[in-house]
Amino acid sequence: MLEALWEGLLLVLQWKAFGFMLLGIGLGFWVGLLPGLGGATTLALMLPFIYTMQPVEAFAFLLGMHAVVATTGDITSVLFGVPGEATSAATVVDGYAMTKNGEAGRALGAALASSLVGAVVGAVALAAAIPVVRPLVLTFGSPELFMLAIVGLAFIASLSAQGTRGMLRGFLAGGLGLLLATVGQDPQAGVARFTFDTLYLWQGLDLVPVLVGIFAIPEIIDLFVRGNSISGNAPPGNVANGAWQGVKDTYRHFWLTIRCSLIGTFIGVMPGLGGSVAQWMAYGHAVQSAKTPEERERFGRGDVRGVLGPGAANNSKEGGSLIPTVAFGVPGSTAMAILLGGFLLLGLVPGPDMLTKHLAVTYSMVWTIVLANVITVAVCFLFLDRMASVTEVKGHRLIPAILVLVFIGSYTSNSHYGDLLVTLVFGGVGYLMVRAGWPRSPFVLGLVLGKIAENYLYISVARYEAAWLTRPVVLVLIAVAVAVILYPFLQARRSRSRA
Amino acid sequence: MPRNASLALAVGIMLAAGYAVFAAKGWQWKAALFPLAIGIPLFCLAAVEVLWTLIDKKTAEEPAPRSVALPWAWMIAFLAVIVLLGFPVAVAVFVLAYLKLQAKESWLFSIVFTAAIWAAFYGLFDLLLHLPFPAGWIIEWLGLA
Repeated sequence: MLEALWEGLLLVLQWKAFGFMLLGIGLGFWVGLLPGLGGATTLALMLPFIYTMQPVEAFAFLLGMHAVVATTGDITSVLFGVPGEATSAATVVDGYAMTKNGEAGRALGAALASSLVGAVVGAVALAAAIPVVRPLVLTFGSPELFMLAIVGLAFIASLSAQGTRGMLRGFLAGGLGLLLATVGQDPQAGVARFTFDTLYLWQGLDLVPVLVGIFAIPEIIDLFVRGNSISGNAPPGNVANGAWQGVKDTYRHFWLTIRCSLIGTFIGVMPGLGGSVAQWMAYGHAVQSAKTPEERERFGRGDVRGVLGPGAANNSKEGGSLIPTVAFGVPGSTAMAILLGGFLLLGLVPGPDMLTKHLAVTYSMVWTIVLANVITVAVCFLFLDRMASVTEVKGHRLIPAILVLVFIGSYTSNSHYGDLLVTLVFGGVGYLMVRAGWPRSPFVLGLVLGKIAENYLYISVARYEAAWLTRPVVLVLIAVAVAVILYPFLQARRSRSRA
Repeated sequence: MPRNASLALAVGIMLAAGYAVFAAKGWQWKAALFPLAIGIPLFCLAAVEVLWTLIDKKTAEEPAPRSVALPWAWMIAFLAVIVLLGFPVAVAVFVLAYLKLQAKESWLFSIVFTAAIWAAFYGLFDLLLHLPFPAGWIIEWLGLA
């Protein structure tokens, strides 16, 4: 095994494979920065170019590109409050708040360092977990996957706001997200639901215009009203020192970063849940790590742990989602489904062969994830000063540039004017949520999980009727959901009794 | 404003959930299962939030920040120009108009900044990525597309 691991590294370091990896990294860097241009879409666009490549070169190119998208997506989230990727939305919550507090450098440093830790954890998990993960994946059927989605939602709804009222609003936001996920043609009966006779809504609400609207538009309005730069009147501070502080934060909260990386890896392994879920689960866990309600109140206002959690999970999920893709041919996400297409184009069959005959190729993927992230993080640190200085540019100069980015980002997701309208409508919803102090994260998670949860619920009911509720893992997950809901109350009671 | 915003959201969710439940009643169970499973509890929770907001007098009334209508007007105007003139023209028109009329920047800065943004847009999205941007209704109507 160690020999194959070494051979995998040598394969990636061959000049041709390394060159293709650098090309992929360059593409992924920009795709991650630009809102709307998704990593999965770009993977699909690049697939035809791998025909003439060797498997190692092709995976160095595709994975090199895909592995860095989440890393650079965090940069746009932190600096402008516009999620560069759907998987970077959770970073906006505290990352952008830190930027507004004049801590852009620290937030970027934390996002990049945690991304690197996450990527390494995910890659190590990929290398180590292949022989042991099979029974775990096979234990989870549709009922368990549905309950996992519910636990995720309960997690974020109960933790993203304070008190009973905050929790109620969290569940309302999450429920609205779930309900809006039902817009479009239903996959079981083909009924057009809530489409109001418009063809655009038949495929449902696309995540990118909604995300861009709900996060970016309120920030643009805020920037307009304040009339100053993103960092406001906060002292700019030394960006390089700030970034170093962010790196130190990663190691100060090392176990949190590792735990969030493991959450990302685990969600990545579970087919169908994807990176958008992983980041919010990790964010929820980061909030949960706060020891007192007062400490928890800092989340959403610029707590570095709110950047570390999603940053780590975003990147560790790649290694995780490669596990079922490589080992069983079951893609863990859309991007992995496209990568599976790449396997087939190259004549490789995922499954036992990838763990025996082509083990070195499998390990070359592990190395690609690690090397691509190391290179990207190093490049980002070199240009950190220039990146962070953007937040000190006057707001009225930034607004037109950000708005162009927002509208193009939204439009490119479906090439339809409806995307722009959706962005503005959800911009309005996001603005109301910000004004009213409602958490936005449960809404996004609800929207992300809606389709997946519906599918699993349908299969569970159709296959087991009500008996799915009595399956042992389902019962455990129900208990976890209840515990997650009760946890903030118990924590508040404990701190009251201490006081 | 937080009270009004909260009330608007809760009432909006209540109406959306109510409509979802009402509409789902006419569908096959396969299509109706999830909207009903979500819609009914969501309607009840939203009703609780509405009542809570109406009863709770402690929620502070905060005046709406000034000039909120103005950024909305700019965004809606940008959308209208995109639809009418297409992205390539709209990007240049919007950025220049915003910098001159709203930001009160000098002509030199406005033109240079607009040219830089337009070049980045055109170079990246059109030349490099070949993303399809329609010409806009007026441009098509004039036969200039």
